[in-house]
Amino acid sequence: MAFAMRVKVPPNSATLQEARHRTFDFFRAACRSIPSIMDIYNLYDVVTPSQLRSTIAAEIRKNAHISNPKVIDMLLFKGMEELSNITEHAKQRHHIIGQYVVGNQGLVQDVATKDENISKFLKNFYKTNYF
Amino acid sequence: MAAFTGASSTTLISPPHISRQCLASTRISGLKMVSFSNSGRSNLPVSFRRLQISCAAKPETVEKVCDIVKKQLALKDDVSVAGDSKFATLGADSLDTVEIVMALEEAFGITVEEESAQSIATVQDAADLIEKLCEKDSA
Repeated sequence: MAFAMRVKVPPNSATLQEARHRTFDFFRAACRSIPSIMDIYNLYDVVTPSQLRSTIAAEIRKNAHISNPKVIDMLLFKGMEELSNITEHAKQRHHIIGQYVVGNQGLVQDVATKDENISKFLKNFYKTNYF
Repeated sequence: MAAFTGASSTTLISPPHISRQCLASTRISGLKMVSFSNSGRSNLPVSFRRLQISCAAKPETVEKVCDIVKKQLALKDDVSVAGDSKFATLGADSLDTVEIVMALEEAFGITVEEESAQSIATVQDAADLIEKLCEKDSA
């Protein structure tokens, strides 16, 4: 309750244009904090900055069809909250990796050296029954 | 008029208000030389600056920008990205454009202000802006 009173919320955007502007500002702020995030959580071997950028852009694009400025403001508020949580180290490495690095297949890209010599047959076998 | 050293930094001996060292580049393209030598008459600084910006984007900068754009938009290799191709025609929406600007920021180590970022529409714009910022940094 006390925390809710501390947080200042900017007034709602008047137009869709202003909401768009705020979205791009948020995206720029997120991208500029990527180097410090990689430093805090030691993600250098796992992911590159450009992959993180694409992930952030994909998250924003998921809600790209919204046209109500108030809804967009709410989404941006949640995004800013997430970003501040991450930058102030309120999360942990496995949160970041699970939420933003791991792809849709649920597997990290083959970074591990033990996977390099695996045969194509085995790769397909692990992926699905029908190949 | 100008002394070139092959390797690291080059110094242009030029009108005082333009003297700068371009640490980011190892060679000055012929275009820039031409623009300086043509300004024998006393130019207004504004018009001189305009002349310089319109013809001074090194091909390697444009090349780098094209590479980043291609990778970002996941274009196939046979799609040609030239200096005057607009981002919209290459299939980039506004979020893609912002992302490309951020990728360029990271690649060249510069910070682009918001107003300048709004005005970028083609590859050439981006390259010129990068040049301007690189020079300002190393001036």
